[in-house]
Amino acid sequence: AVVSTQSGHYGRGPNEMRKLKCEMGLVQDADGSAIVEQGYTRVLVTIYGPHECKLKSDRNTDKAIISCSYKKASFSTGTRLKQLQSDSRATEISVMIQSTFEAAVLLEKYPKAQIDINVQVLQGDGGERCVAINATTLALIDAGIPMRDYVCACAATIYQDQAILDINYLEESCRGPLFMLAVMPKTEKIVQLQLDNRLHNDHLDRVVRQTIQGCKDIQALLDRKVKENTVEAAAAYDIKPKV
Amino acid sequence: TASPQFVGKGSEQKEQEVLALLDLLYSSVDSLNLTTLCVVPEQTCWAINIDVLFVQCGGNIFDAASLGLRAALYSTTLPQVSVSGEGIEMELDISDDPYNVWKLDISNAPICVTLYQIGHSYAVDVTEEEEACSNGYVHVGVLPSGDVSAMLKSGAGNLDPHRLLQMIETGTELGIEMHRQLDKLLQSEERTAIL
Repeated sequence: AVVSTQSGHYGRGPNEMRKLKCEMGLVQDADGSAIVEQGYTRVLVTIYGPHECKLKSDRNTDKAIISCSYKKASFSTGTRLKQLQSDSRATEISVMIQSTFEAAVLLEKYPKAQIDINVQVLQGDGGERCVAINATTLALIDAGIPMRDYVCACAATIYQDQAILDINYLEESCRGPLFMLAVMPKTEKIVQLQLDNRLHNDHLDRVVRQTIQGCKDIQALLDRKVKENTVEAAAAYDIKPKV
Repeated sequence: TASPQFVGKGSEQKEQEVLALLDLLYSSVDSLNLTTLCVVPEQTCWAINIDVLFVQCGGNIFDAASLGLRAALYSTTLPQVSVSGEGIEMELDISDDPYNVWKLDISNAPICVTLYQIGHSYAVDVTEEEEACSNGYVHVGVLPSGDVSAMLKSGAGNLDPHRLLQMIETGTELGIEMHRQLDKLLQSEERTAIL
């Protein structure tokens, strides 16, 4: 097996996340954008909106709607991907991201409007869904769209009774249980939960707790980036915000 | 992701245009020496997949794509392959060593300079607004030596032949300069990357 030592995978401890790098506001044309890199997985998210609803039939008079598109670039994986018009897995993930942020974004503030979330996976090395959610959170913040809290996502697996966080593609292909959690860190409210393969009930509590801690660690890093960004942006107006 | 106008099928036309242009630029036998990609004659060779992703479209996407392509080819490294045995017992050993690599020869890889006709004059490196004002444009594929390797006229509009020659001359001059600047940048990046 790939995970062979007690001290974990690829030199990381079981609770150690991959190195996280992030940037906000790279795409000036978009209302909000962010790139998040966890290990070798890199995802770009651009936000357009809130703007007028494209289709009158989708329009909701109470709140805004979210339209999400999730795409993997052809060069994102080891073998070149064919760009299919209807990739069911991609559609599934788009719907998942849409429902995640419908819970987090204050949609009531923008009735009859539409918010477009465009997710582009530039490099896929495991945990693309999680990185996508983290990048979308940052992008929505960059767009100035109000949310209840950060939404941070983390994936974990169980190996030899140990919960192992933030696994990469090689570790994912070992076909152990893959437990993904998207959480609003302040309240520890679970926004999204997905489990692939079998996970024994005895492990569940531990995995949930450790994954939530992983999400909180991510939130700390994203928050730091947001504050850095704000200080930079405010400097342009000669304002020094207290962070 | 580039912009809402490209959601769904909206981008197909632009995509095809860029594809056709890049195809044209590299259609010449000299642009990329494809024989170097051969591993075992008449049996195995390297295939190169080129994917272009536009993160933001702010006008002049054609030139940007051609510059990006040349830069990407410059940084492309292929692992060394050692062939042992013959016939059915032939074995290919692809080196795992990240430093045991070779690079493509891009000395003849062209870049594109697109000149847009606007009114009685012409412009290069246009923004989207300037592009909207133009009627007709010419793509000029330029080699580092200054030779023109490809040309393509697009867009609705008639070009005056005299002006066309001027445009090509301007395109060539700019092309040579762009090659110089791009190569300088790529080389300095390579040096800092090695450090």
